[in-house]
Amino acid sequence: MIEYLLLLLGESIMIFGTLGILRFPDVYTRLHAATKCDTGGAMNILIALAIASEASLLIKLKFLVLAFLIALINPMVSHAIARGAYKYGIKPKVVVDMYAWDNP
Amino acid sequence: MVEENLLVSPFGWGAVVLVITSLVLSYRVLFGPTLADRIVGINTITTKTVIILAIFGFIAKEYFFLDLAIVLLMVNAVGGLILAKYMEGAK
Repeated sequence: MIEYLLLLLGESIMIFGTLGILRFPDVYTRLHAATKCDTGGAMNILIALAIASEASLLIKLKFLVLAFLIALINPMVSHAIARGAYKYGIKPKVVVDMYAWDNP
Repeated sequence: MVEENLLVSPFGWGAVVLVITSLVLSYRVLFGPTLADRIVGINTITTKTVIILAIFGFIAKEYFFLDLAIVLLMVNAVGGLILAKYMEGAK
Protein backbone atom coordinates (compact mmCIF):
# COMPACT_ATOMS: atom_id res chain seq x y z
CA MET A 1 0.00 0.00 0.00
CA ILE A 2 2.78 2.42 0.91
CA GLU A 3 4.47 1.93 -2.47
CA TYR A 4 1.38 3.11 -4.34
CA LEU A 5 1.23 6.23 -2.17
CA LEU A 6 4.90 6.91 -2.95
CA LEU A 7 4.23 6.32 -6.67
CA LEU A 8 1.31 8.77 -6.63
CA LEU A 9 3.44 11.39 -4.85
CA GLY A 10 6.28 10.97 -7.36
CA GLU A 11 3.98 11.17 -10.39
CA SER A 12 2.28 14.32 -9.08
CA ILE A 13 5.70 15.93 -8.46
CA MET A 14 6.67 15.02 -12.05
CA ILE A 15 3.48 16.54 -13.52
CA PHE A 16 3.77 19.79 -11.55
CA GLY A 17 7.47 20.06 -12.40
CA THR A 18 6.55 19.77 -16.09
CA LEU A 19 3.96 22.52 -15.67
CA GLY A 20 6.59 24.67 -13.98
CA ILE A 21 9.11 24.17 -16.78
CA LEU A 22 6.48 25.10 -19.36
CA ARG A 23 5.02 28.13 -17.60
CA PHE A 24 7.77 29.88 -15.61
CA PRO A 25 9.16 33.08 -17.15
CA ASP A 26 12.92 32.66 -16.71
CA VAL A 27 15.75 30.16 -17.08
CA TYR A 28 16.54 30.10 -13.36
CA THR A 29 12.95 29.59 -12.20
CA ARG A 30 12.56 26.86 -14.81
CA LEU A 31 15.74 25.27 -13.47
CA HIS A 32 14.27 25.37 -9.96
CA ALA A 33 11.15 23.54 -11.15
CA ALA A 34 13.26 21.04 -13.13
CA THR A 35 15.42 20.18 -10.13
CA LYS A 36 12.39 19.63 -7.90
CA CYS A 37 10.81 17.49 -10.61
CA ASP A 38 13.88 15.36 -11.24
CA THR A 39 15.15 14.75 -7.74
CA GLY A 40 11.95 14.47 -5.71
CA GLY A 41 9.82 12.63 -8.24
CA ALA A 42 12.52 10.25 -9.40
CA MET A 43 13.62 9.32 -5.87
CA ASN A 44 10.02 8.74 -4.76
CA ILE A 45 9.28 6.47 -7.73
CA LEU A 46 12.54 4.53 -7.29
CA ILE A 47 11.92 3.94 -3.55
CA ALA A 48 8.40 2.76 -4.43
CA LEU A 49 9.90 0.33 -6.99
CA ALA A 50 12.41 -0.94 -4.41
CA ILE A 51 9.61 -1.60 -1.92
CA ALA A 52 7.29 -3.25 -4.45
CA SER A 53 9.93 -5.44 -6.10
CA GLU A 54 9.81 -9.17 -5.30
CA ALA A 55 13.35 -9.88 -6.43
CA SER A 56 16.36 -10.62 -4.26
CA LEU A 57 17.97 -8.14 -1.92
CA LEU A 58 20.69 -7.29 -4.44
CA ILE A 59 18.14 -6.02 -6.98
CA LYS A 60 16.42 -3.87 -4.33
CA LEU A 61 19.82 -2.48 -3.39
CA LYS A 62 20.38 -1.65 -7.06
CA PHE A 63 17.18 0.46 -7.12
CA LEU A 64 18.39 2.28 -4.01
CA VAL A 65 21.83 2.85 -5.58
CA LEU A 66 20.07 4.42 -8.59
CA ALA A 67 18.11 6.73 -6.26
CA PHE A 68 21.31 7.68 -4.40
CA LEU A 69 23.12 8.46 -7.67
CA ILE A 70 20.20 10.66 -8.78
CA ALA A 71 20.39 12.53 -5.46
CA LEU A 72 24.12 13.06 -6.00
CA ILE A 73 24.25 13.92 -9.69
CA ASN A 74 21.11 15.92 -10.46
CA PRO A 75 21.61 18.97 -8.17
CA MET A 76 25.26 19.14 -9.26
CA VAL A 77 24.33 19.34 -12.95
CA SER A 78 21.59 21.91 -12.22
CA HIS A 79 24.06 24.08 -10.30
CA ALA A 80 26.56 23.89 -13.16
CA ILE A 81 23.89 24.82 -15.71
CA ALA A 82 22.78 27.83 -13.63
CA ARG A 83 26.38 29.06 -13.31
CA GLY A 84 27.03 28.50 -17.02
CA ALA A 85 23.83 30.34 -17.98
CA TYR A 86 24.84 33.34 -15.85
CA LYS A 87 28.32 33.40 -17.41
CA TYR A 88 26.69 33.02 -20.86
CA GLY A 89 25.00 36.39 -20.35
CA ILE A 90 21.38 35.54 -19.50
CA LYS A 91 20.16 38.01 -16.89
CA PRO A 92 17.51 36.83 -14.38
CA LYS A 93 14.21 38.73 -14.36
CA VAL A 94 14.35 39.66 -10.69
CA VAL A 95 14.46 42.89 -8.72
CA VAL A 96 17.46 42.02 -6.55
CA ASP A 97 20.36 40.13 -8.16
CA MET A 98 22.64 39.17 -5.29
CA TYR A 99 24.93 37.03 -7.45
CA ALA A 100 25.91 40.16 -9.37
CA TRP A 101 26.77 41.90 -6.08
CA ASP A 102 29.24 39.19 -5.14
CA ASN A 103 30.67 38.71 -8.65
CA PRO A 104 30.96 42.06 -10.39
CA MET B 1 4.04 -18.47 -20.45
CA VAL B 2 2.24 -15.46 -19.14
CA GLU B 3 2.08 -12.41 -21.36
CA GLU B 4 3.11 -9.39 -19.33
CA ASN B 5 1.01 -6.37 -20.15
CA LEU B 6 2.28 -2.87 -19.47
CA LEU B 7 -1.05 -1.39 -18.41
CA VAL B 8 -1.96 -3.95 -15.74
CA SER B 9 0.25 -2.62 -12.98
CA PRO B 10 -0.06 0.97 -11.62
CA PHE B 11 3.66 1.40 -12.31
CA GLY B 12 2.92 0.90 -16.02
CA TRP B 13 0.44 3.77 -15.88
CA GLY B 14 3.17 5.78 -14.19
CA ALA B 15 5.45 5.06 -17.14
CA VAL B 16 2.70 6.24 -19.53
CA VAL B 17 2.37 9.49 -17.57
CA LEU B 18 6.14 9.97 -17.78
CA VAL B 19 6.10 9.44 -21.58
CA ILE B 20 3.27 11.99 -22.00
CA THR B 21 5.06 14.60 -19.86
CA SER B 22 8.28 14.03 -21.82
CA LEU B 23 6.41 14.65 -25.08
CA VAL B 24 4.95 17.86 -23.63
CA LEU B 25 8.42 18.93 -22.47
CA SER B 26 9.85 18.59 -25.97
CA TYR B 27 8.16 21.93 -26.68
CA ARG B 28 10.75 23.54 -24.38
CA VAL B 29 13.56 21.74 -26.22
CA LEU B 30 12.38 22.67 -29.70
CA PHE B 31 11.23 26.28 -29.15
CA GLY B 32 13.25 27.33 -26.10
CA PRO B 33 14.23 31.00 -26.32
CA THR B 34 17.83 30.50 -25.19
CA LEU B 35 20.39 27.68 -25.12
CA ALA B 36 20.02 27.14 -21.36
CA ASP B 37 16.28 26.42 -21.73
CA ARG B 38 17.02 23.65 -24.21
CA ILE B 39 19.64 22.13 -21.90
CA VAL B 40 17.19 22.16 -18.97
CA GLY B 41 14.61 20.38 -21.11
CA ILE B 42 17.11 17.77 -22.29
CA ASN B 43 18.25 17.02 -18.73
CA THR B 44 14.69 16.58 -17.48
CA ILE B 45 13.73 14.32 -20.39
CA THR B 46 16.81 12.14 -19.78
CA THR B 47 15.99 11.74 -16.08
CA LYS B 48 12.45 10.72 -17.00
CA THR B 49 13.91 8.17 -19.43
CA VAL B 50 16.01 6.70 -16.60
CA ILE B 51 12.85 6.20 -14.53
CA ILE B 52 11.02 4.67 -17.52
CA LEU B 53 13.88 2.16 -17.96
CA ALA B 54 13.73 1.22 -14.27
CA ILE B 55 9.94 0.72 -14.47
CA PHE B 56 10.31 -1.47 -17.58
CA GLY B 57 12.90 -3.58 -15.79
CA PHE B 58 10.57 -3.94 -12.82
CA ILE B 59 7.52 -4.94 -14.89
CA ALA B 60 9.22 -7.33 -17.31
CA LYS B 61 11.41 -8.78 -14.49
CA GLU B 62 14.49 -8.23 -16.68
CA TYR B 63 16.83 -6.57 -14.27
CA PHE B 64 19.60 -5.67 -16.70
CA PHE B 65 17.53 -2.57 -17.51
CA LEU B 66 18.74 -1.19 -14.17
CA ASP B 67 22.35 -1.30 -15.35
CA LEU B 68 21.27 0.51 -18.54
CA ALA B 69 19.55 3.14 -16.39
CA ILE B 70 22.69 3.70 -14.28
CA VAL B 71 24.83 4.09 -17.41
CA LEU B 72 22.34 6.54 -18.97
CA LEU B 73 22.31 8.58 -15.74
CA MET B 74 26.12 8.86 -15.76
CA VAL B 75 26.12 9.86 -19.45
CA ASN B 76 23.52 12.51 -18.56
CA ALA B 77 25.79 13.86 -15.80
CA VAL B 78 28.87 14.08 -18.02
CA GLY B 79 26.90 15.61 -20.90
CA GLY B 80 25.29 18.23 -18.65
CA LEU B 81 28.64 19.24 -17.17
CA ILE B 82 30.25 19.50 -20.60
CA LEU B 83 27.37 21.64 -21.91
CA ALA B 84 27.62 23.88 -18.82
CA LYS B 85 31.35 24.37 -19.38
CA TYR B 86 30.63 25.16 -23.04
CA MET B 87 28.11 27.81 -21.99
CA GLU B 88 30.65 29.37 -19.62
CA GLY B 89 33.17 29.72 -22.42
CA ALA B 90 30.91 30.79 -25.27
CA LYS B 91 29.93 34.41 -25.12
